Amino acid sequence: MKPARFDYVRAESIAHAVEALAGAGGDGKVLAGGQSLMPMMNFRLVKPSVLVDINRIPDLDRITLEAGTLRLGALVRHRMTAEDVLVARHIPVLHAAMKHVAHLTVRNRGTFCGSVCHADPAAEMPMMTLLLDGTIHIASPRGTRTMPARDFLIGSLATALEPDEMVTAVDLAIPADGTGWAFEEFSRRHGDYALAAVAVLMERRDGRARNVRIAMMGIADTALRLSDVEAALEGREGTAEAFDEVVARLKASLAPNSDLNASADYRRHLAGALARRALADAWDRAREAHMEPA
Amino acid sequence: MEDRATITLTVNGLTQTRAVDARLLLSDFLRHDLGLTGTHVGCEHGVCGACTILLDGRSARSCLTLAIQADGATIETVEGLGRMGDLGRVQQAFRDHHGLQCGFCTPGFLMTITDMLRHHPLETDDQIREALSGNICRCTGYQHIVDAVRELARARGPLT
Amino acid sequence: MTAFDASVEMRPKLVGQRIKRTEDPRLLTGSGRYVDDMNPQGVLHVALLRSDQPHARIRSIDVGEAFAVPGVVAIFDAGDIAGDFKPAIPTSRMKGYYATPFRPLAEGKVRYVGEPVVAVVAESRYAAEDALELISIDYEPLPVAVSKDEAAVDGAPLLHEEAGTNVIISRTFARGDVDAVIAAAPVVVKGRFRMTRKTPMPMETRSYLAEWDRRRQALTLHSSTNIPGIICDVLGTCLDLPGNRIRVVAPDVGGSFGGKGSLNHEEMLVCVLARKLERPVKFVADRMEDLTAMSQAFDETIEAELAVDADGHLLGLKADVIGDIGAYSIYPWTGALEPVQVVSFLPGPYRMEHYRGRVRGVLTPKPPTGPYRGVGRPSSTFAMERLMDMAARKLGMDPAEIRRRNLVTAEEFPYRTGSGIIWDRSAFQECLQGVCDLVDYPALVRQRDAARAEGRWVGIGFASYAELTGIGSRIAVAPGMPINTGTETASIRIDATGAVTAAFGISSHGQGLETTLAQVVADELGCRMEDIEIQHGDSALVPMGTGTYASRSAVLGGGAATKTARVVKTKVLKAAAFLMDVPAEDLEAEGGVIRARSSNATMTFREVAHAVYAQMGRIPHEQREDLVGSESYDPYLGTACASTHLAMVEIDPATFAVTVTRFAVAEDCGRIINPLIVDGQVHGAVAQGIGAALLEEVVHDDGGQLLTASLADYLVPIASTMPQIEILHVEAELPNNIGGFRGMGEGGTIGAPAAIANAVSDALAPLGIEVDTLPVAPDRLFRLVQAARASASG
Ligand SMILES: Cc1cc2nc3c(=O)[nH]c(=O)nc-3n(C[C@H](O)[C@H](O)[C@H](O)COP(=O)(O)OP(=O)(O)OC[C@H]3O[C@@H](n4cnc5c(N)ncnc54)[C@H](O)[C@@H]3O)c2cc1C
Ligand code: FES
Ligand code: FES
Repeated sequence: MKPARFDYVRAESIAHAVEALAGAGGDGKVLAGGQSLMPMMNFRLVKPSVLVDINRIPDLDRITLEAGTLRLGALVRHRMTAEDVLVARHIPVLHAAMKHVAHLTVRNRGTFCGSVCHADPAAEMPMMTLLLDGTIHIASPRGTRTMPARDFLIGSLATALEPDEMVTAVDLAIPADGTGWAFEEFSRRHGDYALAAVAVLMERRDGRARNVRIAMMGIADTALRLSDVEAALEGREGTAEAFDEVVARLKASLAPNSDLNASADYRRHLAGALARRALADAWDRAREAHMEPA
Repeated sequence: MEDRATITLTVNGLTQTRAVDARLLLSDFLRHDLGLTGTHVGCEHGVCGACTILLDGRSARSCLTLAIQADGATIETVEGLGRMGDLGRVQQAFRDHHGLQCGFCTPGFLMTITDMLRHHPLETDDQIREALSGNICRCTGYQHIVDAVRELARARGPLT
Repeated sequence: MTAFDASVEMRPKLVGQRIKRTEDPRLLTGSGRYVDDMNPQGVLHVALLRSDQPHARIRSIDVGEAFAVPGVVAIFDAGDIAGDFKPAIPTSRMKGYYATPFRPLAEGKVRYVGEPVVAVVAESRYAAEDALELISIDYEPLPVAVSKDEAAVDGAPLLHEEAGTNVIISRTFARGDVDAVIAAAPVVVKGRFRMTRKTPMPMETRSYLAEWDRRRQALTLHSSTNIPGIICDVLGTCLDLPGNRIRVVAPDVGGSFGGKGSLNHEEMLVCVLARKLERPVKFVADRMEDLTAMSQAFDETIEAELAVDADGHLLGLKADVIGDIGAYSIYPWTGALEPVQVVSFLPGPYRMEHYRGRVRGVLTPKPPTGPYRGVGRPSSTFAMERLMDMAARKLGMDPAEIRRRNLVTAEEFPYRTGSGIIWDRSAFQECLQGVCDLVDYPALVRQRDAARAEGRWVGIGFASYAELTGIGSRIAVAPGMPINTGTETASIRIDATGAVTAAFGISSHGQGLETTLAQVVADELGCRMEDIEIQHGDSALVPMGTGTYASRSAVLGGGAATKTARVVKTKVLKAAAFLMDVPAEDLEAEGGVIRARSSNATMTFREVAHAVYAQMGRIPHEQREDLVGSESYDPYLGTACASTHLAMVEIDPATFAVTVTRFAVAEDCGRIINPLIVDGQVHGAVAQGIGAALLEEVVHDDGGQLLTASLADYLVPIASTMPQIEILHVEAELPNNIGGFRGMGEGGTIGAPAAIANAVSDALAPLGIEVDTLPVAPDRLFRLVQAARASASG
C-alpha cells in the first residue's frame, strides 16, 4: 500500500495552485488534510499525475463572520470548526455535528472544504453544508465563481468541480436567532462514518414550525435535503402526531441501498427513528419568535 | 514541479536534511530513512493510529502525510518522549498500569495521549475512551490504557 | 489441600506479585525490534500479485514492462521456483483426511482471492508495487462453490481434485444413545448456530525477513511468528537444510491471536528467494493483504439439539457441525483444528451422559482457517450456552440455576465428557458462584426487571466454559497431528558474573513471558530478578521448542523453568557449600544471596559464580560443575481452566445498537504468576470476544470476493466499545503439575460471545427472540425483531 509516483507542487497561493492543476491535464489533485485522499492514494485507487499541496497557502485557515454567513476557508481543519466560538454561538447544530466527525487526530488535519470536495455520502460536512444552504467558493485560472451546495454535490464522491478548479471557502447561512436544531447520528463505533444521520433546523412562530430544514445521509448515494418532508411540516404545530406523520412520509419516500453494513429496510427504519428524535428535539429547542425581540 | 526534493525538518529536536521521493510517506521516512522505527505502521489507511506522531505539536497520522509535506515542520516521535532509564510521564503511566502487551500499538497511543493531555479535557472515562477511539489496540482491551490516562489527566496542569 | 509440588524451602517472593514488566521499557521508548525494523545491507522487498479469482486455472502470466520499472530486481512465478523447495504437507493420522500441499506461490491454479501468484522483488516496496501494476495474469475461471453448504454436496466443483472431495475432514464423537434420550425427554431445545468468519487482526502485520549466509550456506529467517520452532523444522524439510543451517527468530512480535501461528506462503517465499538471490529478502504484508490472506477463523454452522429433564438436568446433546476451512488445510494444525475442537468441547463443563457430535470440514475458495484465540471453543460455547439458556427459559428456571445443577462438581473430578475430554479438578461451580457474588446477581436481576418494566431492552447473560490448557504429550493440540506439542525445554546458565540466562522454546508475542518466567526462575533459583535474562522466540536456543499457542507457555514453560532452576540451584548450593564450608542442606538462596541457616555466613551468586569459573583450583576439579542445566517438562495430561462470564446489555430500540453495560469474569487459572498480566490477558481476550459478538465479520460475496478488506469495513473493538471489565480470580485447588499453574490467555474470547448472545436474547425475551448468529450487528437484530413482531401479529 504505497502511492504511485506523482509530481508534487507546494502551492504558494490560490493562483499558483489552480495553475498547477490546469497544467496537470485533468489529472491533478488538491491535497488538503489528506485524510481521505491519502488512503485512496495508498490503496492506489487514485493516482494523480500532479499533487497540489494547498496546506501552505496563507490565510485559508480562517473562520469569519460575514453578513449572515460564516465563511470557512479551505484550510479550516475539523478541530477548528469543532472548537470555534463563532460556530458554537451562531450555528450550534454544526458544533454538535462535529463531535461525530472521525477522531481527534483525524480532526487535527482534515478540512471542512476537503470533506465537501470529497463528497463522501456518509460524511457530515457535505450534509451540513446542504442543511445550512451553503455556498461554495471556487477558483480556477479562469477566475472565481460560486455555486450553491445543492448543485455542487452531485453524487457519491462526485462534485461539479472542474479539473482546474479548487474550492477556496464554503459559506454557511447562519440560522435565525432562536432556531431550534437537532443532530442525530448512528455509527457502529464512535468516530466511524455514519450509517445514517439527520440534521434539522426549524423556527417556531405562533406555535407553528416555520422554515423547516432537514438534511439526511445514509439513505442515498449523496447527502440530501428532504424538501418534500420539509414542506409537509411547514406551518404545522410540533405535535407528536405531526412528527409521526411526517416520519411515515419520509420513510415511504426513501429507497436506500443495501450494503455491507445495513439492509435497505434497516436503513429506512434507522432514518425514520433518527428523524423522529431529531424533529422533536429541534421543536423543543426552538424559541417562540414573538417571545424574543427580533 | 518535482517528484523528488530535499527537505529539512526537526525531529525530536534534531535538524535533519534528506532527499526524498515526493511520494514517500512520512511513516516510511521516519522508520527507514531516519531509522526511527518506534513509529509503527498498522494499516496505512488512517484507521489504526499506530503511526501517530506529533506534527507541529498536534497528533497526526504519519501514514497519511507525505515526508515532503513535513519540510520545515517540527516532528515528535515516541523516541523523543523518554529513554529506557528515564521514561517520560506518559510512558511511565503505561508501565505502571500495564497499558501495553505486544507494544505494537503503543507508540501511537503515547503520541495521541501526549496531544490529548495538552489539549483536551479528559475529565470522565467516557471522554478518555472517546479520545482514544482513533487508536486500535488488539491486546489490552483498553482498560489499563484508560487507567493510565485517567491518572495522567488527574495529575496534569492546565490545558494549553 | 494444595497438592502442588512446591518445595518446602521455597518462600515465594515474586510469583503472585504485580511485577511491572521487564519488556516494557524497550517497547515504550520505541526501542523494540519487530521484523520490519530490521534493514540489513542490500535488503530487497517483495510485493505480490495476488489472485483476484476465487477458483481459476492460470493460463499465462504476462510481466509486460514490469522489469523496466526502476528498482525491480526479479520477478517470479511458481514455475521459476519449482525446483527450489518441496511443498509443506500438513499431515494427520485422521481417517479419510486429505493433506493439501502448501506452496509459496500458486501453481497451476488459484483457490482463493488473495492467494499469491507472482512475486516482484525490488529495491523498495514502492518500486515493487509499481511493477505489480504492469503484470497481468490470464485466468480461466473455474466453477466455484463459495459457501460450505454448497461445497459439501456431491458433485460440487473440487478445489483439490486429488482429494476427490471437498469434505476432507469427517469425524464423529459419541457416547450413549442420544437419539433415544431426545425422543423421550420432557424438554428439548434446538437451534442452528452460526459463528461467522473472523480475522485475527494482530496490530503488526505478518512480516518476514530471510537472510542467506553464503559462507555457511545457512538461512536465517526473522519472522513475526509465534511458532519459530515449528517453522524452522518445516522449512528445513522444504528447503532441504539441516537444523544447524537454518534458524528462525521471532524478535518482538506485535500480537498474533492465532494469525501468526501457522506456516504462511510468504514465509516460505522469502526463504526460497533469499537463497536463490543470495540477498536479504523482506516481505511485510500490508493491512489489506493481512485482511485478505492471513489465516482466518471460525466459520461454522452448528445444528444442535439438547435434551433436559423436568428439573433442568442435562440428558443428552446431539450436534451436526460443518466447518468452512477455506482453500487449504493449514500447516501444521490442519483444517481439523477448529471444527473438530467444536465437537470436542461442545458438551462443555457439564455432566451429561449422552452425546453425539458429528463434524465435517469443507474446502471452500477462501483463505484457510487456522488457529484463533480460543480455537473451536468460542463457537462451541456459543452454541451450548445458548441451548442452556433456551432450556432454562422453557423450564422457567433461572439461567444461573440451570448451570448450577449441571456443572461438574468437585467430587466428580476427574470427569469424562461425552466427547472424551477429561476434566480434572477445576473450579467450575465456584466460578459461577463467584461471578454471581461479584456483581450481586439478584440486584442485577431486579435492575433488569425494573428497566424491562419501563419497556427498555435490558438483558443479562451467562457463559460457563472450561478449556484444556498446557496440554502435555498425551493429546496432540490438533487431532492426529504428528508434532510434539507436549514438551517444553528450559536451559539456564549462570555465567562468571553471576548473571543468569534462561532460554526457552516458547515465543512470547505480547503475553509478558519475559517477566513471568523471570519471576518463576528468580523464586526457584533464589537469584535477583534483574540478574535474569529470558531468551525465547529463537529456534536455536533449545534443541526442541515449538512456540507459544494453546495457552501452554505458563504451564509448560513455567514447569520447565522450575525444574531447570532447581537443578541449577543444587549446583550453586553445592559449590557454595564447599566454599562456605557448611553442608548444602544448611543453605538457602534468596535475592541473589546464599545464606547459612546455622551461621551468619553469606555469599552472593556472583561470588560463587566467580569462584566456580574464574578462580582456578578454588573448588577441587572433581567437584567443580558448570552452573548450567537444561530440563524439559511434559505435564502429560493437560489442565483445565474454568470460567464463568456475565454480561449485561442494553439495546437501543431506535438503532438496534447493543451496549455492554456490565461485564464480569470469574475464572480459575490456578496459581497466578503475575495478576497484572493475567488481568491484561483477560481484558484483551474479552475485548476480542466482544468484537466477535458485536462487530467482527469477514464477509465474502457470492463470487468469493472479500468485502471487508480495510479496517473501515472489518470492525474491531475500540476503547469506546468496551465496558469496564470486572474480574474475580478463583484460585481453587491447584492442578497437579509443577508450579500449580493453569494456562490462560484465550479464555475471554471463549466466554464473551456466548455471554453477550445470551444477554441480547434475554433483553429481547419479551419478543421471544433467540440469537443464533454472531455478530449481532444492528441490521441482524433489526431483522430478528421485525420477524418476531410479524409472527406475533400475524
Ligand atoms: C479514520 C478516519 C475516520 C474518518 N471518519 C470520518 C467521519 O466520521 N466523518 C467524516 O465526515 N469524515 C471522516 N473522515 C474523513 C475526514 O473527515 C477527511 O478529513 C475529509 O473527508 C477530507 O478532508 P481532507 O481535508 O482530509 O481532504 P483530502 O483528503 O486532502 O482531500 C479529499 C478530496 O477532496 C479534494 N480536495 C480537498 N480540498 C480541496 C479543495 N480545497 N479544493 C478542491 N478539491 C479539494 C482532494 O483532491 C481529494 O479528492 C475520516 C477519516 C479517517 C482517516
Ligand atoms: S498506519 Fe497510520 S493509521 Fe494505521
Ligand atoms: S499492545 Fe498489542 S496491539 Fe496494543
